[in-house]
Amino acid sequence: MKINITSALRSGIAVMCLVAAAVAPLAAHHSFAAFNMTDEKTVVGTVKQVEWTNPHIWIWIDVPNDKGGKDAFGFEGMSPNYLERRGWSRTTLKIGDKITVTYHPLREGNTGGMFMSGKMETGKILTGGGSNN
Amino acid sequence: MTTPKRILLATGAAVFIAVAIGSLAVAQQVITKPPTAADWAAMAKLPDFNGVWERGGGGAPRGGATPAANAGGQAARGAGAAAAPRGGAAAAGGAPQAGAAPARGAGGAGRGAGGRGGGLQLTPEYEAKRAAYKAPEDNETANCLPPGMPGIMGQPYPMEFLLTPGKVTIIIEAYTQVRHIYTDGRKLPADPDPHYFGNSVGHWEGDTLVVETVGFGPNTNIAPGVGHSDKMKIVERFRLVDPDNMSIETTITDPVVLLAPTTSTSNLRRHREWTITEYICEENNRNSVNDGKAKINVAIPSPNSTR
Repeated sequence: MKINITSALRSGIAVMCLVAAAVAPLAAHHSFAAFNMTDEKTVVGTVKQVEWTNPHIWIWIDVPNDKGGKDAFGFEGMSPNYLERRGWSRTTLKIGDKITVTYHPLREGNTGGMFMSGKMETGKILTGGGSNN
Repeated sequence: MTTPKRILLATGAAVFIAVAIGSLAVAQQVITKPPTAADWAAMAKLPDFNGVWERGGGGAPRGGATPAANAGGQAARGAGAAAAPRGGAAAAGGAPQAGAAPARGAGGAGRGAGGRGGGLQLTPEYEAKRAAYKAPEDNETANCLPPGMPGIMGQPYPMEFLLTPGKVTIIIEAYTQVRHIYTDGRKLPADPDPHYFGNSVGHWEGDTLVVETVGFGPNTNIAPGVGHSDKMKIVERFRLVDPDNMSIETTITDPVVLLAPTTSTSNLRRHREWTITEYICEENNRNSVNDGKAKINVAIPSPNSTR
């Protein structure tokens, strides 16, 4: 599924540019266009999939919904080369791990966003996500 | 053969030789000489630039005091390249990143740095271009093209300096890029092909490596909305300010675009505990931009994915 985020930009481009200005240097390749960088949300779930790949890692977690089911949330993080120098490894997150994720939400209706920080059940804090954390 | 004919022939030969030499000069063929033992021995007298460096104080806290040189990070001065402190820089142990190394083009990753080239003194032509500039949602770095110079020197990933006889090589982790800086005395090309990294030569002034670069590709820029002409020249002065901190003073001149040269200073910190690793941007790029419009692919991978 590909999401076109065009319409979301119409209202907030100035704000986005301002925010991007603050964080852009941390993003070698990064596109901020898809994320609402001024918004911050937190969800709790269990790790479903991890892509430990360049130019960004992606983490999917299953989050229980109020219908008794679960929704998959996807998060874009920084790159492996960056994160491995900051306490992460490709095995830091394992499928089934419980994690609390704070993120900048996707602009267009999808469950997920840009990973800001995470807290593992062990108490381990993960920072250095896609935004400047 | 009569004497006038001989003279004519000799003149013709001379002209032919002159033209041949001229052609060589145009092609600017440079022979890279094999290094001698003396050349290698001379390397030992150069400042110790070898190793892995990253801008500012980025990276894991290393304990102890952050060198003052990094605490300040970037300091733009002179006519331009206003530094744009990045948010939360202190938290990341990082230094603000300056406009000296704006990422390329069209509103890109370097769209901080003085906004749309704010702080730069532009010629009327380029001031008008900047005023008319509409930032796209993203730039080509979203498609994994590198920013080129000067933006590549401002990436959040490390770079490794290699000093060998006649050359300084900078291996840049971001986008797996390389800068080739010839220090064997060759001249800058008179009519360079445009490249992302331009064409670089360097020389040592005492302990300072002075690098001159010309011939930049059309996809590089001075700042978002501020392109460059074929007259752009970048001069970088690299020197150690203490054993593990390097200062880079970058001066950009472009008489077609800038009313005055713009100079800024950035810092690199050596990380002896690091090695350069892999960054293949195309490996799993879920971002893209097409005609200024950005997209993201959030499709969840198959559980059988090998990623």
